[in-house]
Amino acid sequence: MSGPLSRSGRAPSPRRGSRAARPHDREVARLERELQRVRDELRQARSAPPRHDGLLVSLARVVQSGFRGLSWESLARLQAALYFAWHAEDVDEFGHDPVFADTIAPFFEFLYSTWWRVEADGIQNLPDQGPALVVANHSGVLPYDGAMIKLAIRHQHPARRECRMLMLDMFALLPFLAPALTKHGEIRANPDNAERVLASGGLVGVFPEGIKGVGKRFKDRYRLARFGRGGFVRIALRTGAPIIPCAVVGAEEIHPIIARADWIGRPLGFPYFPLTPTFPWLGPLGFVPLPSKWSIEFADPIPTEGYGEEAADDPILVNRISEETRRTIQKIIDGRLARRRSVWFG
Amino acid sequence: MARLAITGASSFIGARLLRRLVEARGAEAVLVLDVAPPPSALHGVHYHQVDLTLPEADRRLLEILRDEEVDTVVHTAFFTDPRRDAAYSHELESIGTLNLMAACASAGVAHVVQRSFTAVYGARGQNPNFLTEEHTPRPNERFWWIKDKLEAEVHALAFARRYPRMAVTVLRLAPLIGPGVYTFYTRIFAKRVVSVVMGYDPLLQFLHPDDAVAGFDAVLARRAQGIFNVVPRRAMTLLTALHLAEKVTVPVPHPLASALADALWSAGLSDAPGGFLDYVRFLFVADGAKARRELGFEARYDSREALMQYLRYRYPQRYPPATRPEEATA
Repeated sequence: MSGPLSRSGRAPSPRRGSRAARPHDREVARLERELQRVRDELRQARSAPPRHDGLLVSLARVVQSGFRGLSWESLARLQAALYFAWHAEDVDEFGHDPVFADTIAPFFEFLYSTWWRVEADGIQNLPDQGPALVVANHSGVLPYDGAMIKLAIRHQHPARRECRMLMLDMFALLPFLAPALTKHGEIRANPDNAERVLASGGLVGVFPEGIKGVGKRFKDRYRLARFGRGGFVRIALRTGAPIIPCAVVGAEEIHPIIARADWIGRPLGFPYFPLTPTFPWLGPLGFVPLPSKWSIEFADPIPTEGYGEEAADDPILVNRISEETRRTIQKIIDGRLARRRSVWFG
Repeated sequence: MARLAITGASSFIGARLLRRLVEARGAEAVLVLDVAPPPSALHGVHYHQVDLTLPEADRRLLEILRDEEVDTVVHTAFFTDPRRDAAYSHELESIGTLNLMAACASAGVAHVVQRSFTAVYGARGQNPNFLTEEHTPRPNERFWWIKDKLEAEVHALAFARRYPRMAVTVLRLAPLIGPGVYTFYTRIFAKRVVSVVMGYDPLLQFLHPDDAVAGFDAVLARRAQGIFNVVPRRAMTLLTALHLAEKVTVPVPHPLASALADALWSAGLSDAPGGFLDYVRFLFVADGAKARRELGFEARYDSREALMQYLRYRYPQRYPPATRPEEATA
């Protein structure tokens, strides 16, 4: 049976003129639907952000063309695909890049659970919401301790809070490390930055020892250096955020500094140049941290509310709170060291 | 009739502002002070040829401002690009501002609005992520081009202190990118291959020209005094911007890059001297909170939208136009 016959059989009106008009109308309707579909597609394509081919697709294109089609455009597209495979197109106000952080997360997870077998205690001392300033001892040449405190809070705290660590100026100036730390979520150690996060009810982590802490010689391990000039206390007093002392044990042994050759580091922009049992003698192997056993303990919060508005300008009060924080951390470290039987097994 | 005078009306932002002012107030109310006449399309706009660098410029300006009964001056006579002729840009920007301010103060002008740049804060690793207006500007030593801008600000603010009846506003604009903009930033985005400093990817702000004009509008409407940052809603990283623009990036280690950039600049082959490299290594992101609080000014575009609009304008084939600005972010 042919199509036109069956259709005319079902038709309600047998008149000639309308029979001739109907296929035409149908054609018009079909084309209109088609046009609408194309319009929708066009609108979607216009409103969508520019599409990047995936990394593999871009690579495959280059290989498929046998490198004959290699042009500036294809190179640019390949570079863009490489970049956006690792990075988000949008970052937050401090430059935290969720895609980059997720990409390197497995590395830190491995360090946290397998390499250093971090144990965290006293996590209940961190508030479920509202601002708090985590103050910790600093050690280990590279700021791994910051990443581990961050992970401990993310894993163990019931509210899975994100802690933003303040990084030393030194790390904010170094190539590769500076953008990597920023994209991982660290922020420059700067009162304005810290107060901004605390004012919005966030968690901030700080290492008041600074360079004196990370660049400590092995013979000085676990002896806390001077706590800066108490800047962290002023930040806490101004924002009313409680101070949570945090003691990290284990990080001093990952890169034991037996001597320092600062004269090599200075011209390269490093404030110090560590000599460890492996660095720089073993080349890239020198960057592998030793697998010590870590423990992180958060102590009872030190309240900073109720001192009044002028409190941040009172040097005696600032120094008292700073010393109290330092003593608390030193006491926990001393206690843990006395109980620790092995550097490697805890 | 109280008039508004504008200097540097042939600069990009000056020209945009002039058109906006003529639209809003009528051509009769606007006076152009420049070395070049305004476009002939703007009928009725008063024009005086004034060269701010001439030694007698202040006396001539004073006569004009008195005769034309000017009560507001918008000062946009600044170079957006680094100039090889450092002496001339110093004469125009620093000394020219001094001449203009002296004339305004003597003529009893009520309000002076001066264009400035967020680059005066200086790009440094130690900078906070949001530079507020209270932050002391410290331009990078080797980027002398920006020092004249800061000197011009210092002159303007000194006059504001000495003549309390004259309200002085300094608008620090983030680098402009958007349709029609042609600066050394956009020339970077028009290249096929861009060299970048290896291992650095700072946050940058790109201001859409419409937002810049809206910033001037807000200040003129409220007659606000002091310094204001006029910045886009959000910043973006340098490499994101370059890769969205599909540039081939060639990373160069920074000690080498600095020497290379200086050599290219001396040879006349690049758009910015080596000192500019600090501005692509470290951040100088300014905070727009004060403008939001006191002027009610909020940028319409974020840095990425401004960049995308520029790319659509520059490469219409590769980046099909979005019909509405909000679709650009969808």
